[in-house]
Amino acid sequence: MFIARSEYDRGINTFSPEGRLFQVEYSLEAIKLGSTAIGVSTSSGVILGVEKRVTSTLLETSSVEKIVEIDRHIGCAMSGLQADARSMIEHARVECQNHAFHYGESLGTESCTQAICDLALRFGEGAEGEESIMSRPFGVALLIAGFDEDGPSLYHAEPSGTFYRYDAKAIGSGSEGAQAELQNEYHKSLTLPEAEVLVLKTLKQVMEEKLDAKNVQLASVTKDKGFRIYTDDEMADVVGRLPTN
Amino acid sequence: MDTLVARYSAPPSQHQPLDQDEQEELMEALPPLSLKFALPPIAQPSSWLRTMTDDHANPNCPIKIAHGTTTLAFRFQGGIIVATDSRATAGNWIASQTVKKVIEINNCLLGTMAGGAADCQYWLAYLGMQCRLHELRHKRRISVAAASKILANLVYSYKGYGLSMGTMCAGVTPQEGPALYYIDSDGTRLAGNLFCVGSGQTFAYGVLDAEYRYDLSENEALELGRRSILAATHRDAFSGGFINLYHVKEDGWVKHGFNDTNPIFWKTKLEKGEFSNVTADLD
Amino acid sequence: MASVFSASIPQEAPGYSFNHLSSGTREHAFNPYTDNGGSTLGISGADFTIFAGDTRSTSGYNINTRYAPKLFKIGGEGPSNENARIVLSVVGFAADGNALKERLDTVVKMYKYQHGKPMTVAACAQRLSHILYSKRFFPYYVHAILGGLDEDGKGALYSYDPVGSYEREQCRAAGSASSLIMPFLDNQVNFKNQYVPGSGVGHALEQRVPEPLPRKDVEQLVKDAFTSATERQIEVGDGLQMMTITKDGIEEVYSPLKKD
Repeated sequence: MFIARSEYDRGINTFSPEGRLFQVEYSLEAIKLGSTAIGVSTSSGVILGVEKRVTSTLLETSSVEKIVEIDRHIGCAMSGLQADARSMIEHARVECQNHAFHYGESLGTESCTQAICDLALRFGEGAEGEESIMSRPFGVALLIAGFDEDGPSLYHAEPSGTFYRYDAKAIGSGSEGAQAELQNEYHKSLTLPEAEVLVLKTLKQVMEEKLDAKNVQLASVTKDKGFRIYTDDEMADVVGRLPTN
Repeated sequence: MDTLVARYSAPPSQHQPLDQDEQEELMEALPPLSLKFALPPIAQPSSWLRTMTDDHANPNCPIKIAHGTTTLAFRFQGGIIVATDSRATAGNWIASQTVKKVIEINNCLLGTMAGGAADCQYWLAYLGMQCRLHELRHKRRISVAAASKILANLVYSYKGYGLSMGTMCAGVTPQEGPALYYIDSDGTRLAGNLFCVGSGQTFAYGVLDAEYRYDLSENEALELGRRSILAATHRDAFSGGFINLYHVKEDGWVKHGFNDTNPIFWKTKLEKGEFSNVTADLD
Repeated sequence: MASVFSASIPQEAPGYSFNHLSSGTREHAFNPYTDNGGSTLGISGADFTIFAGDTRSTSGYNINTRYAPKLFKIGGEGPSNENARIVLSVVGFAADGNALKERLDTVVKMYKYQHGKPMTVAACAQRLSHILYSKRFFPYYVHAILGGLDEDGKGALYSYDPVGSYEREQCRAAGSASSLIMPFLDNQVNFKNQYVPGSGVGHALEQRVPEPLPRKDVEQLVKDAFTSATERQIEVGDGLQMMTITKDGIEEVYSPLKKD
């Protein structure tokens, strides 16, 4: 006799008798192995931050790309299987450009998140007869930061295809500790520079390595400058502003 | 046997009916972005389309598509000048005097419109999207050579379907410097220093070739662009309206106005004494 | 259509100096279009956009009906499109016009569900252009005009050719009487060939600068345009349907035109 779990955790399209999709649940576990990523939303913009996990001194840190641009006004940070994120990002970029092409306006942050999540359950056939395009659920979660006509917003998209909007959210291996820290520190009147420090400070607490300007990465989405990844100089500046303890 | 001979002796311009598979294959080879075009349920869509929409081949065609007319662009030491008129005609009817025939693909690339207005508008907007995706995927701006090639390959894949466009892509990139390409719906793609496109092209070439030098100053170049379009609006009935003038520089393009030809014409005549064939008396 | 008509002319009728169409070769070509005649026009003002269209529908020299609207509200709620903010006018082949209207209406309604906000006129204008272009090789036989209020509350008007090239304009007339109405609008709305009084003579004449007209004046222009067109165009007449888009919504008015 098999235990219930192993009977039902192979087929990705099969519910267990308790009504669970184990493969989807396992994909959520895969994210907990990933590096920590944090997003904090303020009234003037959103800050995204990731740890880079520099596993070797020979590693070229600039090649570790965990924050990417989706469009001028939307960016995203990831945690989990990097390779899976590539097709999601590509999909999101195409959706954004397609929307701009057809409507002459930029895609809203929520609509963009929805477009990404529409992809998440495509390991089964689509509702309109689309073929399944992958053999398992995604093993990556995304923090999507955007600035649209409704102002700044931050979304968390899971492999299960659900998404929620957050003021501040942490994902990845250090997410539990980090989320608790954000819970304590976050307030609505946070400024952008304060949010930069909050993100790094939180990352610092959950990272195994000692935080420096090379093993973390920040990006911001603001009204005027859109999405931008911080330069080395800007990173050094923010790291310099961290409270020492 | 006759059908076999007919099949291989038909002029290449006549589009052979595609069977289902061939057609599907063709559609699939097209860009992946939901570009599905309806085709009439007949054997030869392109010749049907011609009888319905080509006012040159059939002046009584029921659907009159707006056409664009004189456009020019040339390279010089200070970048690229792009200038156009603004008249759109459908048959003999002037459909509009205020068409924007310079299409801003992005903040450093310009395209021009001659031929079918919708073809140019649509495909240059499509090109803008492709350029932006290229930028996101490769983290650097697309070269003018690559952008023009995307467009050329694209219209080539629709060859024989009846697209009509003659366009120039002008841009400045760090790799290439100022670069200018001519692309048309036959699939032609040419790099060059100087092009005029449209029914007024010969008149524009006349002025442009006479005065053109690579080391023109910025003001001289702008004036030459304006004067060449003016010549075309004067002698070509399908050109007119306003003169749309752009200057493409290293850090993007600059717009130099959308001005009525009429006052420019009189200014040119009265102040510079040109167009002496026209009398200055208005009585 | 023309050949059917000429066959019905009685033999003893006086002859014409030119040949009838029935002579020569007759081709049975694929002809999926009928011109249903009529005319539409749109004018945008500072805080409103007015659309008008006659309601006659013809094919050849026959009048099919005296009330076939050419103006449609787009993207409202329910079958009567309540609270719509965008108007589409189509003239040309009515079946294509209807199909186009349905398609655009569906797109605008779906947009509202998908993005949780009403579509702007500018977005709708670009979408309509691409819908028209998607039938580039089997065109909709229509001249469309689309309008509403832009994001600043100003009147917005976009005109189209059958395959989707478009332009934002102050005014536009389309359809069989466009060649009668458009020159009139050029003069009255865009002040073409109007000069500032007292600015001099000859080369000293100063072009009068166009400015948005008040709503009352525009309504009168529209009525004048259509009564005049009805006098000289056989395909125009019967009724005038007018829609005015303001910040308060869309007002629709019907007034009669000559029915001969």
